[in-house]
Amino acid sequence: MKPFTYVLPHTLAEAHTAAKKAGAVLKGAGIDLVDRLKERIEAPPEVVNLLPLKNDLAGIADDGGGLRIGALTTLRQIAEAAALQGPAFGAVRIAAGLTATPLVRNRATLGGNLLQLARCWYLRSAAFGCLHGGKGPTCLAMTGENRYHSILGWHDCVRVHPSNLAPALLACGAEYTTFFDGKQERRPLAALFPDEPTAQKAEHTLRDGEILVAIHLPKPSGDVRSTYQETREKDSFDWATTAAAVQVTLQDGTITDASIVLGAVSPVPRPRAEAAKSLIGKKPGDAAFLKAAEMAVAGASPLSQNAYKLSLCKAIVRAALTEVTR
Amino acid sequence: MTDPGKVLATFFVNGERHECAFAPHKTLLEVLREDLQLTGTKHGCELGECGACTVQIDGVPVLSCLVVALEAVGKQIRTVEGLADGPTLHPLQETFADLGAAQCGYCTPGVLMTAEALLRRDRCPSRDTIKQCLAGNLCRCTGYLKIFEAVELAAARLRGEPAEPRKETIHGS
Repeated sequence: MKPFTYVLPHTLAEAHTAAKKAGAVLKGAGIDLVDRLKERIEAPPEVVNLLPLKNDLAGIADDGGGLRIGALTTLRQIAEAAALQGPAFGAVRIAAGLTATPLVRNRATLGGNLLQLARCWYLRSAAFGCLHGGKGPTCLAMTGENRYHSILGWHDCVRVHPSNLAPALLACGAEYTTFFDGKQERRPLAALFPDEPTAQKAEHTLRDGEILVAIHLPKPSGDVRSTYQETREKDSFDWATTAAAVQVTLQDGTITDASIVLGAVSPVPRPRAEAAKSLIGKKPGDAAFLKAAEMAVAGASPLSQNAYKLSLCKAIVRAALTEVTR
Repeated sequence: MTDPGKVLATFFVNGERHECAFAPHKTLLEVLREDLQLTGTKHGCELGECGACTVQIDGVPVLSCLVVALEAVGKQIRTVEGLADGPTLHPLQETFADLGAAQCGYCTPGVLMTAEALLRRDRCPSRDTIKQCLAGNLCRCTGYLKIFEAVELAAARLRGEPAEPRKETIHGS
């Protein structure tokens, strides 16, 4: 790593002020950032460590309207949280517990998982210069080695969004709070990701110095259930090749609300609203699930090496819907 | 006087107090090995993928290659050097030696630190629990079977059972 100034803030305001400086970066546990610093794909003059603010930014609590999960809560805490044991938030719990390995989950934070840099091998290698990394004229994966890359919703960069908690939280209707210029702002989680995820856009929409404070999950009303499934090349400790989070509400045996969100197939986590809508008013059943799974990948444009993701995606959407309505 | 490019900090490692001056961008792994000469903890991939650098911070196993050393100041750090009680090996160290669960030995310190944390939390872990717990500690020699058996045997001994290795484990079937 290249030397940097290490800032240990006492308050969110101090962290914000330090992080607004040109080139400064914010750090949670550093699982992603320390990797990037070591690989020399980034060399910030200043690293602002948020961990001293753990008392305010970590933990899971009922905030009246639902659950508030602090941005510095570890993935292990989320996976094991009593507050998330119910069926409504199964997707969040499962996604957190599947991430990486226990050693990583012991430190990795919710905020870091949501805001990490894409894991594209061209982007992450100092040997290549690509458009998204701002060091090259094109997306190298588009015509290169692209078996783990996007199959839908891509523009001039085919990276995939690497967070497996993002689809789960989106499916559960999460919101997020940030701190910027002395104010806390709360928005729907979808706003954390760019609408048009072009190469020039970052993985997230936070402004320089804006700090992710917490994620909020709404209080479930009725028979709300969710789950998360992903496919991988290895059973443990691997990145997802495709991921699907679903949440459904059942009333008298009929689906009255549904959401389906795909991960690992697009530069941002992708809610599939039409596919979810097709389930509303239906009784749970394979015909309806198959149709929703087909609709979830409608409009996909796979690359030269990753058409396999289409069938995987359909399979896990169908399987997740079957599991969650069982 | 401290070098202006360095910070002076106190670490608590294996119950001992260590004061050292180091560059603030160093990882805990680097400080342990290079500044405190505790070379039991191994440099592996350096990217959080192999688990060779696993140490415990306040009892929790973490990857020291991804911890900025300054974050460990004031916390209780435990490395493989702190496992044995004087001349008495930890039951895990004994069973790893007895069962041949260490071959080249490079992953062993990390595996031991992860396994020790598991056995403090779960006195009777199932084979599946052990597998999942050790998923982040890669071993390229053993094929893992001996490691799992050594953890199970150590767990039994820690429970006070007079457990011995299975004959097949030592001599083959």
